[in-house]
Amino acid sequence: MSTVEDRPTTATTGSPREGERRWIGRSVARKEDPKLLAGRATYVGDVMLPGMLYGAVLGSPHAHARIVSIDTSAAEAIPGVAAVLTGAQAAELVNPMPAFCAEPVPQTAVAIERVRYPGEAVAIVAATDRYIAEDACAAIRVEYEVLPAVVDPEAAMAADATRIHETLDSNVAFHRVLDFGDVEGDLARAHTIVRTRARWHRMCASPMETAGAVASWNPFDKSMTVYSNSNFHNFLPWAFAGMLGVSTNRMRMIPCAVGGSFGSKHFITKVLAIAGALTKATGKPVQYMEDRVDNIAANDNVGCDRIYDAELALAEDGEMLGLTLKIVDDYGAYFQFAHGQHGNAMAQPTGPYRIGSLRYDVSCVLTNKVQQGFFRGAGADPGNFVLERLVDKASEVMGIDRAEIRRRNFIAPEQFPFKTPPGNVYDSGNYAAVLDRALELAGIDDWRAEQERMRAEGRYLGIGLATCQERTGYNASEWWFLYDNPPLPATSTPESVKIDVDAMGGVRVEVGCPLWGNSPETVVSQVVAEEFGIDPADVSVTYADSTTGAMSAGPGGSRLTIMLSGATRGAARTIRDKMIRIAAHAMEMDPADVECVDGTFRAKGAPGTSMSMADIGMRAALFFHSTPEDESSGLVAVHTYDHPYSTPPSDDRKDMGAFYPMVSHACHIPIVEVDVETGLVTLRAYYAVNDCGTVMNPTLVEGQIVGGIVQGIGAALMEEYRYGEDGALDTPTFREYLMPSMHEVPEIVVEHLETPSPFTEYGVKGAGEGGRLVAPTAIASAVDDALKPLGVWVDELPMTPERVVNLVQGAGGGS
Amino acid sequence: MKPAAFAYLAPRDLDEALDQLAEHGADARVLAGGQSLVRLMNARLASPAVVVDINRVAGLDALERHNGTLRLGATVRQRTSELSPDVAAHAPLLAEAGAHVAHAPVRSRGTVVGSVAFADPSAELPTALLALDGRVVVRSRSGERTVEADDFFTGPFTTSLAPGEMVVAVEVPVTTAGTGTAFVEVARRHGDLPVCGVAATVTRGDDGRVGATRIALCGAGERPVRARAAEDALTGSDGGTDAVAEAAARASEGLSPIADCHGSADFRRHLARVLTGRALRTAIDRAAGEANDV
Amino acid sequence: MSEVVTPEKVRIRITVNDTAHDLLVEPRTLLADLLRGELELTGTHVGCEQGVCGACTVLVDGAATRSCLVFAAQLDGATVRTVESLAGADGTLHPIQQAFHENHGLQCGFCTPGMLMGACELLERTTAPEPDDVREALGGNLCRCTGYQNIVKSVCAAGAALATERNGQA
Repeated sequence: MSTVEDRPTTATTGSPREGERRWIGRSVARKEDPKLLAGRATYVGDVMLPGMLYGAVLGSPHAHARIVSIDTSAAEAIPGVAAVLTGAQAAELVNPMPAFCAEPVPQTAVAIERVRYPGEAVAIVAATDRYIAEDACAAIRVEYEVLPAVVDPEAAMAADATRIHETLDSNVAFHRVLDFGDVEGDLARAHTIVRTRARWHRMCASPMETAGAVASWNPFDKSMTVYSNSNFHNFLPWAFAGMLGVSTNRMRMIPCAVGGSFGSKHFITKVLAIAGALTKATGKPVQYMEDRVDNIAANDNVGCDRIYDAELALAEDGEMLGLTLKIVDDYGAYFQFAHGQHGNAMAQPTGPYRIGSLRYDVSCVLTNKVQQGFFRGAGADPGNFVLERLVDKASEVMGIDRAEIRRRNFIAPEQFPFKTPPGNVYDSGNYAAVLDRALELAGIDDWRAEQERMRAEGRYLGIGLATCQERTGYNASEWWFLYDNPPLPATSTPESVKIDVDAMGGVRVEVGCPLWGNSPETVVSQVVAEEFGIDPADVSVTYADSTTGAMSAGPGGSRLTIMLSGATRGAARTIRDKMIRIAAHAMEMDPADVECVDGTFRAKGAPGTSMSMADIGMRAALFFHSTPEDESSGLVAVHTYDHPYSTPPSDDRKDMGAFYPMVSHACHIPIVEVDVETGLVTLRAYYAVNDCGTVMNPTLVEGQIVGGIVQGIGAALMEEYRYGEDGALDTPTFREYLMPSMHEVPEIVVEHLETPSPFTEYGVKGAGEGGRLVAPTAIASAVDDALKPLGVWVDELPMTPERVVNLVQGAGGGS
Repeated sequence: MKPAAFAYLAPRDLDEALDQLAEHGADARVLAGGQSLVRLMNARLASPAVVVDINRVAGLDALERHNGTLRLGATVRQRTSELSPDVAAHAPLLAEAGAHVAHAPVRSRGTVVGSVAFADPSAELPTALLALDGRVVVRSRSGERTVEADDFFTGPFTTSLAPGEMVVAVEVPVTTAGTGTAFVEVARRHGDLPVCGVAATVTRGDDGRVGATRIALCGAGERPVRARAAEDALTGSDGGTDAVAEAAARASEGLSPIADCHGSADFRRHLARVLTGRALRTAIDRAAGEANDV
Repeated sequence: MSEVVTPEKVRIRITVNDTAHDLLVEPRTLLADLLRGELELTGTHVGCEQGVCGACTVLVDGAATRSCLVFAAQLDGATVRTVESLAGADGTLHPIQQAFHENHGLQCGFCTPGMLMGACELLERTTAPEPDDVREALGGNLCRCTGYQNIVKSVCAAGAALATERNGQA
């Protein structure tokens, strides 16, 4: 067992108990709501520019084919068609899509010479409306030479498998085995080793709004304006500029309201490249919105697609000793984000347990499928699934109650900060308390009685249990530390906020992140309100475009509330301190004797003399001679909050460093009923106890958790990409790719325990992914529990009716 | 995902509609509720040159009962049928199956006849029509003919309808006392097309034994199909547990189900057996009861 | 076989959010695109164009309707209401919108207009909906953010609020 030697010196220590909080921790209603409710928010599909054209994409019907010829003449002749571009033509206007991988896997937004997955763009069109653009797509004649499709990832690894990229020696784009701790020793020492071969299929984020961009090229000053639902406009704008062939200081990216992302819209280079090529070809603004088929088939929003051979070694008393994970991950046809999802998974592979050693053996395999991107969980989701399945199996095999085996192995509260075998640090937690509360909340004994009663009727009720980590607040090192020689070993994930107080005392905040469906306006307003003692309703919030100098990695990795509260507090404190100095000067007092209470500045303990925000705002704006000598005019501050606690990986990669150290924890207890004849799994109830540190806004955190749980219900029961043997995508619309509806969701009860993070402002941790990080494995556990009389073991998600029936029949039950 | 161009015709009466269909033949599609057709057109899986919108045709929206027959005109909405007291009382299977079709807003536009004419092999209403021994009333400029449901469905999304013809109504014999009906299905998500569904009608004879039985399956073949071996097994039996089990076991005989991402052919055969058993049990219970409780 | 038919534009007179329009539309123009394009009512969102997600739900003659599955040409004489009709010009939220606000019934807001319009129809005919009534009415509307729980809660709360309002007026 390893622990952290010292508290990190770089961390800004939180002050969760500092005074009475008025706004942090309150369920302030969302500031974002009214415009969304009124239908007045501007999503990228709502942007209309004079003369704007509409783009459409002709996708490949084949999974793998050589493009023999493309005839665009009929398409070009259609009235209203402004441009038809093949891959080669688009490549003259925009550059290949930027990639994080070190391997030579070039990727263009429109395929050149060869298509590598069904739906890959072969040609793009701009026309006066989308209908005509699609007419043009239908009129393009493409001759293909169909090549063998590589569909099965394990078969793809064979030396003689059809190669997806000639630039690589093999379809295994990346393979590495990493040992942390004494893996062999722990395996040798073990009393019991439980094993599983687990399958986590690919699913996609499927936000209700697809990805899109409006690009407007000005050929006279060589500038480009882009509206999009990307998140990285204030993080990697230079990368977009490079792709679009625009100098970085002539590129303006404007964020729009975003109709959900769940990780899928970070980079979305494809839609920008398509709109960018078309605006350059036509000289007119072009909107390209994916339709739903584009989004499912060709967006980069597919999550992990893994086969695990995993084993957990335990001592006789149930102590977990070591974990080995051999993973084959089907990355699809390209490798744009490299193995970032495995960097991510490395944050918490051993879960909340004191597991001493870890072997992580990962193969990233290329096949003829759309590439992986990011989807809520981002690599840690299948990791939680597999680990918790192993723990349940150990409980079963060793005859130790499943709550008890967890309790015996939990990292104890006094062991924090806790350094995990791969190097990431967990900040704080009280896992046993969460488990105990969850068992109580669920009323386990009543459900067990109900289970008995139903079994007597031949019905199968199951009670699930999972205790999982939710690593929050990532540092960029996760993208690359699996490489010895990474192409871009970045270490920054900043978040900046600009606050100004105007001459009338009005407080305005400009955030660098976009509105992605979470609540940045509400969060920064709560923090500003806390710091100044004003009402959050009086704070106005706007979104910075890429020309403002804002720094923002935005929402992702459950970081936004952590980072925004840090940035906002920093900027607010800078301004508040300046206002205190100005007030003190005006009131002829020592600044140390002035405090800010309820939006007024007054002598400490002597409320009689005071100045309002407006008094000081006006003084700062117009009365230079009445402010302290070394103060400049105005009240404006930008604060960039960098990652609160991170350390670099060691050169030998024996220690990946701390990169995801704000670690939330949850215990979920779903109750399911399984119809063993039809295979239908019905959720009867769902209980979740969550600890994400200081809860900034309970209602909003609950919203994140419940939403994540329902996505997890989808992962457990419905969501899956399926490809035919020829590589055709069998799930290209919402009629095949199924997400839960209102009918599939039980009442979900959520409670919070709070173990503040020592690393962050106010002690907040993230909560954006926890629901989906826990629910799939918890529901698998419930199905197992339901079918325990039949001896069923769930090791593959989703548990479709057919899979459940096969399990039951395989176990000898059912009809 | 936008439809290809087409000419839009909105006839005001049936003759005008039939003239237009005669003129445009196979180039024309009839648009009623549009909840399936427009979806296909958006995906360009259907690109008719002419769309004949019959929503304004007078007289097609009648839902009437006479001489032991319930007749639903071509623009009777699924929601109307589902909530109709006449349908509930005299063809409860149609109401029960109809409640499984998609969602209320879709049903309030979609029509019963449209679903039948669309002939999706997975859809509920064609299967219910088949189990009810219903008829399809077809009109063209050259006259009217009636097609038994057994003969109407010829393959996936294909029917015995000829170019120039349209379905003006479906008719079902009213379900009388002593007959029980049931519809059960497995859909992966509420409101989705079923992976498999079973519609059953069972009549109790005066001798207490099972008389006429019709079992129709959706999701089990290239068109809605009868489970004739199961029907034969049940007919004349005592309708008890063993008889139902025997009938259910034979429900998959002769089926050649389609396979898709929601279920393999084998799984659909399995469901056909399971759901036939469930549907028969319910239908037999209801046949024994005074009323058809839905 | 027929002569080639020219897809002539169709004249429709349609009332959208209390404004009468006299329009020439292409037959293939979907109601969703008429609203979002020509009428610039971009509050109606398009999620799947297959009638599965319900995001584009508007009221046509009072009935909740997927505007991606209806051609504008079909709507001569129809009355359409979209989300833009709900809030007052002074920014006062409609009681249904207010209930969504108070119960955190939305996150990204993309499915929300469809949910609101579906709820409008439900609350026209049901004064005090139970959660199952809400699921029956809105079960075909997908939301990827909220997990639905707060949407159901919002609609039930809106029902109560509207009932109070109606009683107050009576």
